[in-house]
Amino acid sequence: MNSKTLMYILKRILLAILTVWVVITVTFFVTRIIPGGPFLSEKAVSPAVTAALEAKYGMDKPVFDQYITYLKDILHLDFGPSLTQRGRDVSDVITDGLAVSAKLGVIAAASAAVVGIVLGSIAALRRNKIIDKIIMVITTAFVSMPSFIMGSLLLTLFAVKLAILPANGTTTSGLILPVVTLALYPAAYITRLTRSSMLDVLGQDYIRTARAKGVAGYRIIFGHALKNSLIPVLTYLGPMLAYIVTGSLVVEKIFAVPGIGRDFVNSITNRDYPLVMGTTIVLATLIVVMNLITDILYKVVDPRINLE
Amino acid sequence: MKKLVALVLALTMSVSMFACGSKDTAGDTADNGSNTTTENGGDTTTTATDGSVLSVCLASEPDSIDPALNSTVDGATMIAHLFSGLATWKQDESGKLVIAPDAAEELVEGVPNEDGTITYTYTLRDGLTWSDGEPVTAGDFVFAWNRAASVDLAADYGYMFEVVDGYADIWETDADGNFVNPDATLNVQAPDDKTIVVTLATPVSYWNELLAFPTYYPVREDVVSDESWATDPSTYVSNGAYTLTGWEHNSVITLTKNEHYVDADKITMPQIDFYLSDDTNNMLTNFENGSWQLIDSVPNNEIANLQANYPDEYFVEGQIGTYYVCWNINEDILPEGSGLTGVEAENAKAEIRNAISLLFDRNYIVESVAQGGQVPASSFVAMGITNPDGSQFYETAGGNDYPGYFDVSAEAYTSNWDTAMETLKKYYDFDESTGMFTNFPSMTYLYNTDDSHKAIGEYLSGVLAGVGITLNLENQEWNTFLNTRKDGGYSIARNGWLADYNDPISFLDMWISGSGNNDVQYGKGDHAAVAAYSLDLTPYGIDYKVENATWAETYDVLISEIKSCTDNDTRYEMMHLAEDMVMETGCIVPLYFYTDIYMLDSSVKGFYSNPLGYKYFMYCTIEG
Repeated sequence: MNSKTLMYILKRILLAILTVWVVITVTFFVTRIIPGGPFLSEKAVSPAVTAALEAKYGMDKPVFDQYITYLKDILHLDFGPSLTQRGRDVSDVITDGLAVSAKLGVIAAASAAVVGIVLGSIAALRRNKIIDKIIMVITTAFVSMPSFIMGSLLLTLFAVKLAILPANGTTTSGLILPVVTLALYPAAYITRLTRSSMLDVLGQDYIRTARAKGVAGYRIIFGHALKNSLIPVLTYLGPMLAYIVTGSLVVEKIFAVPGIGRDFVNSITNRDYPLVMGTTIVLATLIVVMNLITDILYKVVDPRINLE
Repeated sequence: MKKLVALVLALTMSVSMFACGSKDTAGDTADNGSNTTTENGGDTTTTATDGSVLSVCLASEPDSIDPALNSTVDGATMIAHLFSGLATWKQDESGKLVIAPDAAEELVEGVPNEDGTITYTYTLRDGLTWSDGEPVTAGDFVFAWNRAASVDLAADYGYMFEVVDGYADIWETDADGNFVNPDATLNVQAPDDKTIVVTLATPVSYWNELLAFPTYYPVREDVVSDESWATDPSTYVSNGAYTLTGWEHNSVITLTKNEHYVDADKITMPQIDFYLSDDTNNMLTNFENGSWQLIDSVPNNEIANLQANYPDEYFVEGQIGTYYVCWNINEDILPEGSGLTGVEAENAKAEIRNAISLLFDRNYIVESVAQGGQVPASSFVAMGITNPDGSQFYETAGGNDYPGYFDVSAEAYTSNWDTAMETLKKYYDFDESTGMFTNFPSMTYLYNTDDSHKAIGEYLSGVLAGVGITLNLENQEWNTFLNTRKDGGYSIARNGWLADYNDPISFLDMWISGSGNNDVQYGKGDHAAVAAYSLDLTPYGIDYKVENATWAETYDVLISEIKSCTDNDTRYEMMHLAEDMVMETGCIVPLYFYTDIYMLDSSVKGFYSNPLGYKYFMYCTIEG
């Protein structure tokens, strides 16, 4: 790795930190501007109780002071207490939710990658045959169908009509439907990506050379073609993660999966400021870091790419 | 390359493991409730429901199951299974719901003191222990009550101790809002480990009911010293019929029978799983496929189907609460150039609001819009609240020969309509050819985003449009809505109130000028100076009589007299008077009294619920 690459990585890391800081700042002030507050409910508490709660959580101070205090706490990775789930720290809530979401996300991403690469390769190798046509039609359908429709369809079919899978994503078997819902779009996308990239690679001179030298068919595919045709797929990993993180907000809602997506939405509804901040920071950091890693990987896989 | 193959293999294995898992569940659920699979993370336990586990879903995760901090009905249900207070709701031999002693040997009568306060002395039963084996002492109650009422905790339901002597001192503030008595405590003592002596500021008819309320349950000082104690089974120590044995956040809370509980031999349900979801479609799916035996909400658009398809499993129970529409009292609704000002304008507005209320057909709303077996309402204090003689408060409200402030029966609707139109014609121009009012200012109906609230808003708007009155609909997200309504930034808004105890005051003290729930804005803004009200308390033996006075000089005084009144009959008469005052302003338009709809599997026996909506599963069995 040369010094130019190192400089690039360093620059990207600084930029990533700056991005997260901007996200923190904007979110902090925007949540305070929107009407409502964490201590409102259908049965209002007396002004004295509200005042006591605000004093307890430091919300009686000017907003800018609260912002400075928050930044200091964040530097120590202290996300503060949840305002609505009394007795729980934001970090606990996020850890619980993230564990579930990560399980969902990782399984979905991995299955999407495996299914996509396998189907894409098959389609490319059987180009214009009936199997290729079928794969292409199905993937086109899945790429164009939004996850909330797919989720509702799967829920109706497997959980209600056939009643063979649970409707709520709180159990392990309950994760099947949300994983499928979440994975279908990226799987279809990767299939198409792999297919076109593989076709591209198969037409390259070095493949023809290998064939001419009498290399076995499977070695050509797995040893030469597949590896090179995966580069575009690798670049899709960043956007895919972003899709899975944002897509899981909807999917977690449909299947009642107790993930971070639900915490995120509920915290906004409840004006649980520290939890809004915590979930936003975690999700933003996740996306920024994954994009960073993808960019760096890109360079590692294909040294011809100029990072400048 | 090898890595890739390994990855593919690993994934294939994990996918096939999932497939196996699904088959298990498929078998279980297809059996329609005979088996339940509980899979907690990686640790899978399959329990055959030979009646040993009851799976229910009331709502999403409660904000807290700390008895002092809880403010939800579903949280209260769980706490009622986990803790044992001095009193509890029980079914007697005849199946009637009563408040019975629980940790207390008996629910004693109070002894009046010379200063008007009243003292109760309770003795704890023998053999009470915490779930960790420590004995329950009177001191635990004293500690818990002071904690729940404290400024430090600032609990939503801390005001439930308002009736106890000393509460007012704790929350007394100076002009700058600082608390002036930081060392104040409630007047409750534990002279020994078995005796609790508590003094109330005034006699309270619903005192025993308060003792059965979760905020009054005991907690132990060393347990709750860490504020996170109530979020984890390992630190959760309770004294009731069950212990908290599992809590997958946002997923399921598991209660297991507490063998150390003093009445453990009477508890028939070994384990209760409270699934945590607020998605009614999801709940219904799980009820229909037999995974859950009770669900506390159903999708609104399914109500008619469920009534028809599950006649033995669909239940509607009364709930002490009123769904109503409130006006902002400061909203100007008089036609342009009416020339009315001050008291005259206020009285005219009250008459108009009351007339508009008569235009709405409550029977239609209940039967065709809300569809949940609700009861049409023509008064604010809800059905279920009783008079001292046991009769229903709402039936005697208004002093008419029908219940409430107008005849809400279907037969009376046409004549109500005619009366209303006559009144409105006095104030507004009416075009006889079109049957429309032509100069009614257009208004906006504010509701929180929800299909059922929207449907009611559309009905109200449709009725008014029929007579030429424009009522635009505006929905806001929940928290924004609460804020707007509280600040009076609306003309007409959707509203609802559920009582916490069987006493009309829980519906009436919210309308004093300084109340945080005074959404109508009585005595606030312009209304603060409106001297349009009269109050004569001399018939009740109180030397107070004012005419053409402000809301603060009348209603606020009345509520404060009610709160310090020691004669129960007089107190109830004054509470009827207070409701009269509120209803006369026309700002409260009651639509219906709430009901609680739930689905209960027919195999479950021994279930009951109380008027506050708490559900009791401890005496349940699953048969068949």
